[in-house]
Amino acid sequence: MKRLKSIVLAACAVFVAGLLLLPTPASAQSSASLSITPKKNYTIEPGRTINDTITIRNLDAERSLDLSLRIVDFTFTDDGGAPQLFLAEDAPQTTWSLKPFMTTAQSVSIAPRSSETVPISVSIPEGQGAGSFYSAILYSAGAPEGGNVGLSASGVTLVFTTIPGIVDEKLTLEQFGAYNTGTNGEEPGYKLLATSEPTVIAYTLKNEGNVTEAPVGSIKLKYMFGKEYNITNVNPNESLALIGQTRTFTSCIKLQSEDIDFNGTRAEATQCASPGLWPGLYTADIDLFYGQNGNRTQEIISSAWFWYLPWWFIIAFFVVLLIIAYFVWRIVRAVRQRLYGSHRRRSPQRRRR
Amino acid sequence: MHHRVFHFNSLFTWHYMWAEQLLSLLIALLIFVVPASAAMRFQERSLFMNSTVPGAVTSYEVSFQYMSPQAVGSVDMLFCVDPIPYNPCVTPAGLDVSDAVLSEQLGEIGFSIYSQSTNQIILTRTPGVITTTGSSYKFDNVVNPVDDSESFAIRLKSLATTDGTGPQIDFGSVKGQVAEGIFIETQVPPILIFCLAEVVADNCEGTNETFYTDMGALSADSTLVAKSEMGVGTNASGGFAITANGTSLAAGTTVIDTIETPTVSVPGTNQFGINLVENDSPAIGNNPQGDWANAVASDDYGTPNLYKFVSGDVVAYSPNVSLMKKFTVSYIVNASPSLKAGVYTTTISYIASGRF
Repeated sequence: MKRLKSIVLAACAVFVAGLLLLPTPASAQSSASLSITPKKNYTIEPGRTINDTITIRNLDAERSLDLSLRIVDFTFTDDGGAPQLFLAEDAPQTTWSLKPFMTTAQSVSIAPRSSETVPISVSIPEGQGAGSFYSAILYSAGAPEGGNVGLSASGVTLVFTTIPGIVDEKLTLEQFGAYNTGTNGEEPGYKLLATSEPTVIAYTLKNEGNVTEAPVGSIKLKYMFGKEYNITNVNPNESLALIGQTRTFTSCIKLQSEDIDFNGTRAEATQCASPGLWPGLYTADIDLFYGQNGNRTQEIISSAWFWYLPWWFIIAFFVVLLIIAYFVWRIVRAVRQRLYGSHRRRSPQRRRR
Repeated sequence: MHHRVFHFNSLFTWHYMWAEQLLSLLIALLIFVVPASAAMRFQERSLFMNSTVPGAVTSYEVSFQYMSPQAVGSVDMLFCVDPIPYNPCVTPAGLDVSDAVLSEQLGEIGFSIYSQSTNQIILTRTPGVITTTGSSYKFDNVVNPVDDSESFAIRLKSLATTDGTGPQIDFGSVKGQVAEGIFIETQVPPILIFCLAEVVADNCEGTNETFYTDMGALSADSTLVAKSEMGVGTNASGGFAITANGTSLAAGTTVIDTIETPTVSVPGTNQFGINLVENDSPAIGNNPQGDWANAVASDDYGTPNLYKFVSGDVVAYSPNVSLMKKFTVSYIVNASPSLKAGVYTTTISYIASGRF
């Protein structure tokens, strides 16, 4: 009996071990080609709910796209518009978090070359104070198995919600002037002396209020000899200064627009073109407006200046200066020769010697 | 005092009489003429739209504070996309104030509508000196603009005449914007396309379906390299940003150090880094491919032969609309002779997002 028992136990052990040792089928890697909605904006009054959908498309022709969805908070990375996502599961909730008010699906599976709509609901409770709230929906594809370096593709939809009412708004102009974006190899930043032609005027605003702000207004650029350049829309992309952010907004002095075909649809792409500036001194005047509905419209006015002196102009300037100096020297020399002759007269003391 | 005055006057003999009178005249001009001719900005300006739904018929309450103590006979309200008074006025699409009714006025009162058009209302009254500074005017039956992608403004100016003509006294603009709970997709909705694999097609329509790479055996004498590709494009006006997230290569508790500032590859030291351009030390990678120039690798990841990896860093971005662009990510791993033996692995998660 004991022998039989040990045989059965041994057989069970072998079976379990066999199960454990059998190669587990690797979970099929999800597609990593997706199309998402990058941003959503809502204005919701307290006590109201908005139900919306977000469309996600799987671009892969063969694999399905399996995504897990998660709401995460975000803030700004620097003075630009890239979000810094708080991905850690235990990340503390921000004061502007939309997490308490927003719900969405936890996962979605999309067949090859098709799309799915994911429900999203934002519900603002009664008595909620006015302000801006924002979070992001993170769509993560599964991580692969094997290799040293695995790749995982994720997408994000930024969700902004404005709760109307009396809010605290305060934008302070930190800097304003000619700006080098750094794309030409130079150090990015504001320039008082530009050796390459400035194409961008920028302004940096610090947001100390409790709402996101998208300023509007215009910039007038004046050349020292009178020519004017007018930038009529200083925030064409409706870019935002997030709560607490010091944001640099850039505007092209001359904007070049182009209709492009993007994924079968028409879109307007813009980029800065050469404004054809002449070397010299330029002054810029900015007039900005901001303010939420029902709140005071606030205005920021400021001036700045910069020199545009390209190297060819600096070299030409000194060459011309040298030529003028040479001719002045020649004239002075010629006049002296006429007045005093080719040799200077000896002084009386010398003559006496 | 009399003594001093006598001496002061004695300085100005008849030779200086004309100069003295001229100076007095100039001072008088500075005091009385300059302030009266300078237009001032209305203060405490605001616009309250009772409904911000695009195209809705609603009421607007315009409030501001008169600043100049002069008689005002009319107030001009011009509705434009641009708030700047000297710029050309473009009427906000859909806006209509031609049937607006002045239903309430506070502060400086006695106004009625003198004339109105699609984007202009002129209020008139018998000219009167400003006695109360803070004032508000409510208009019913205003049709909201329909475009929620841009704000609009009301350019305000007060005038002495009763018909909105002549020089302005005070001026200023108030800003408004329509917004809707749910975006009605009357236009092409913004989309962001993103794909990732060892090799991807130019338009993200296919990949080689390889999402990991074996880099080989670590050695103190050589650098292990790998590469992957990602395609990205967007029609969103704000552009996109891609962040790289993850940890360095690790085997158990042993972790190969990441490169925290752009640095060259040094075999024999523990290094893990990436960049997005073509390199020759070691020879790996490609420059970004695609016609559109505004999608670029970030500065720290865009210099040949310099590598870096800090989790959460933006590695590529575009400030606005960008056609499809393909980025090649190069990975380098170096190991010191003292590095513990083991299988070193990591997963890098690339997150594509819009910009705000």
